Amino acid sequence: MKTKLTLAIILATATAAAVAGPVEEQIRFRQSAYSFLGWNTGKIKKQVVDHPETFNKDYVAAAANAIAAVANSGLGELYGAGTDQGIGWKTSRLRPEFFQKKDEVTVVANHFNEAANELAKVAATGDINAIKTQFGKLGETCKGCHDLIRIKE
Amino acid sequence: MKVTIRIWDFPTRLFHWSLVLAVVAAYITATLGGNLMDWHGRIGSFILGLLVFRLIWGFVGSTYARFGSFFPTLPRLAAYLKGRWHHLGHNPLGALAVFALLADLSLLVGTGLCSSDDIAFEGPLFKLVNDESLKDKLSGLHAQAFNFLLVLLALHIASIGFYRVIKKTNLILPMLTGKKEVPKALAIPVTGGGPVRFFTTVIIAGAVVWGVWGGVELIKPVESAPVPVTTPSF
Repeated sequence: MKTKLTLAIILATATAAAVAGPVEEQIRFRQSAYSFLGWNTGKIKKQVVDHPETFNKDYVAAAANAIAAVANSGLGELYGAGTDQGIGWKTSRLRPEFFQKKDEVTVVANHFNEAANELAKVAATGDINAIKTQFGKLGETCKGCHDLIRIKE
Repeated sequence: MKVTIRIWDFPTRLFHWSLVLAVVAAYITATLGGNLMDWHGRIGSFILGLLVFRLIWGFVGSTYARFGSFFPTLPRLAAYLKGRWHHLGHNPLGALAVFALLADLSLLVGTGLCSSDDIAFEGPLFKLVNDESLKDKLSGLHAQAFNFLLVLLALHIASIGFYRVIKKTNLILPMLTGKKEVPKALAIPVTGGGPVRFFTTVIIAGAVVWGVWGGVELIKPVESAPVPVTTPSF
């Protein structure tokens, strides 16, 4: 029984590793991740910045938790060799320089992760002004990657 | 014999220096990003108002503010390059720069209104564009138009420096005071651009900006922000 369980765990792990397989698949997963992020940042923007009178603590906290979850999911795995070329849901906008700039990317990507986790923490308090400030900081970290490794159409 | 004339009317100067401040502010807010992007959008709309104002003022403003008085026609350009152009106001080469700046700023504002930074900012007309790839292209064009603006501004400032150092002419002071000492022979009376025209133009420019912010809802009602009373249970 124990052997079977171990085997199942190993298989599951192997499958998870294989998920980030072909180039197109990696691009699709990351494009999906960012559009899911966009949905959630959009929700926060609406309730915290544009229409604060509609602020709902739980709704915003759920969005912030979703953002943090995506940030913590290890998106870096989706940037395998050759993924600057290829079509996922649409043509990837990853600059080829990404692969030479990995150290810089790591720095800005970690800033994003920290900001996302902090936002989830702040959102849990329900302090709308603090959320707005941290939400702005999160936006700055998004920009960090956009400026560094994203193709401007 | 020299006389002092009012070469740049007050509205033209107000336009010029407001534009300088607004462009700098737009650059700073876009560079810092985050929550300042909303201010970037507001400043961009203010620049829209300035441009609309200037385009109208180019027809109803005073003598040297009118496009017709300095439009860089080929004969004028040729005369200038041969050193035979002796008039007041924008010289033909400078006039080319003026029109290039106005055109590029219009492109910058036009694309900006329809742009998103794919983070948490959308220009006020972004929702009117339905094509996803067109949205991306407009945002990209916005960045390229800004790079071109930098080139034009470098030329603009270099020319002012050239006039100051080589031709011993101060171009900045007249743009501040409006006054310029000119040979009497060249001085023709400055006409047009009175207060009624000024306020009318301001009102029209303001109406355009209002239309962009509020009017978009009239054309295509934006779905009102959802107000979930409770968080969805699934």
